[in-house]
Amino acid sequence: MQILMGLLLGFLLVCAVSVSASKSLLNSVCIYMSYSLVMSIIWILLESPDLAITEAAVGAGITSILFFVTLKKIHAIVSEDDDLEPEGGADTEGTVPTEGVVSTEKDAAKEASRA
Amino acid sequence: MSRKRTREEYEKTRSFRLKQWVDGSRDPFLDRIEMKPKKPFTEPQEVKERREVDRERMLSRVYDMNRNARLREFHRLYQVFAVLFCVILVVMLLTAVSWLPTVGAEDRPVNNEVAARYIENGLQETGAVNIVTGMILDYRAFDTLGESHVLFTATCTVLILLRQDKKRKRKTNDRMYEPKNDVILQTAARVLVPPIVIFGIYVILCGHLGPGGGFSGGAIIGAGLILYLCAFGFEKTERFFTARTYKVMSFCALACYSLSKCYSFYTGANGIESAIPLGTPGAILSSGLIFVLNICVGVVVAGTMYTFYCMFRKGGY
Amino acid sequence: MAAWEWIRFVIGGFLLLCGLGIFAIEMAGVYRFRYVLNRMHAAAMGDTLGIGFSIVGLIVMNGVNFTSLKLFLVVAFLWFSSPTSSHLIARLEYDTDEERESHYRQKELKDLETELKTGEKEES
Repeated sequence: MQILMGLLLGFLLVCAVSVSASKSLLNSVCIYMSYSLVMSIIWILLESPDLAITEAAVGAGITSILFFVTLKKIHAIVSEDDDLEPEGGADTEGTVPTEGVVSTEKDAAKEASRA
Repeated sequence: MSRKRTREEYEKTRSFRLKQWVDGSRDPFLDRIEMKPKKPFTEPQEVKERREVDRERMLSRVYDMNRNARLREFHRLYQVFAVLFCVILVVMLLTAVSWLPTVGAEDRPVNNEVAARYIENGLQETGAVNIVTGMILDYRAFDTLGESHVLFTATCTVLILLRQDKKRKRKTNDRMYEPKNDVILQTAARVLVPPIVIFGIYVILCGHLGPGGGFSGGAIIGAGLILYLCAFGFEKTERFFTARTYKVMSFCALACYSLSKCYSFYTGANGIESAIPLGTPGAILSSGLIFVLNICVGVVVAGTMYTFYCMFRKGGY
Repeated sequence: MAAWEWIRFVIGGFLLLCGLGIFAIEMAGVYRFRYVLNRMHAAAMGDTLGIGFSIVGLIVMNGVNFTSLKLFLVVAFLWFSSPTSSHLIARLEYDTDEERESHYRQKELKDLETELKTGEKEES
């Protein structure tokens, strides 16, 4: 049991360091979610099931979802091939889909310049 | 997708002409349109005077330091008083902290007897099998009231920051790639949301018998509502959960909590036995007020989680 | 009977170890594949099967009582929700893919028909 606890705590340390040191914001949020999950397991090992349920529901559930929605709003979800900097502004995630639906003026300009 | 083009090719395209028009570096009407000679611009004197008077009045009230003398005085006074207020607050809090017993001192009851008292007499005095719930909702219920108000304040802050008016059109449509009426998601939501909500209600109601309580159950119900919203869209969810629902819900829950705790304070301060029976431990209708308080806290937390998600996604309900 | 308990324990342990092995294989897949959909396929299948094996092992170890029913409900919930989320991620990837030609092979309908006809002729 001590070994398991030591392993989990080591994993927590690694998670915490890599949340700050990771270059992509999406990776950081996913690692934060896994941090919350491991924290929930540690609460069970420390014999407090109330905290485990609350941590699982709030940490791994709600907070991570709110982070993802925030990332979407600031257009910080970039693919691996692009530069790993969130391009502030109105860049959308991908190109215009094949149905030809145009959403913003910049997409319209892109269409016009490509045509 | 796109390749590099030379400058001459670019100058032949339409987008370059558009850019020139937008910048104003090329007049679109020159050499194209016959124009009549324009009259010079004259303005009657009254209109000009009225315009100047309006401008002076506006500038004297605007939030500009250079023109507004009252604002300058206020700003200086504000700086002085802000510093003074912070210093007084810090001194008060530090004095209060210095009256607390030192951490780990042997002869103080908070380190020896309080925890033992909670554990030994917890079941008798509160009637809750789950000592943790008994503590946060009976011995220290005032702190939980403060915590519920913190949740309420957080929701107010999020509302102030993220709420968008309906009049202003949304500039970017960031829900273009969202699955609308995805059959798999809707079927899964139809199957999964009722058990989630029932489980959340179970965790809230059995807070005094097993692990859980108001906070966890509320978060679970909030997550279930978010899943329903994601699967079915905003119109369907607004049939049963609008802004008014949330306001009514959270106000009633917080008021109910405060009134119940007022009763407890009254009976406790005057040494009267409270009329609410504690019941047999282990039964669901036991432990007096904890049952009611769990429900109130759970309702507030569920509404808060769902509100946060709605605010973040859409800026409104 | 002690022997029956032992057999149950051994079978449960074996199933748990199988689950662990499946998770290890899934991790190897997730780290080695280069394209998102391949990784996601490995992750989703590995998760579903691994959780199934592990929890069935725990049920066998526990016997037939209320805890086993709760574990079975956990498995049912996870088998509903995990494939749904994988489906949504895959759909998003397909919708916003920038290099769709290089990632998939798309066939036109008439090519499929000619392929079917040539296949029939070869068999007959």
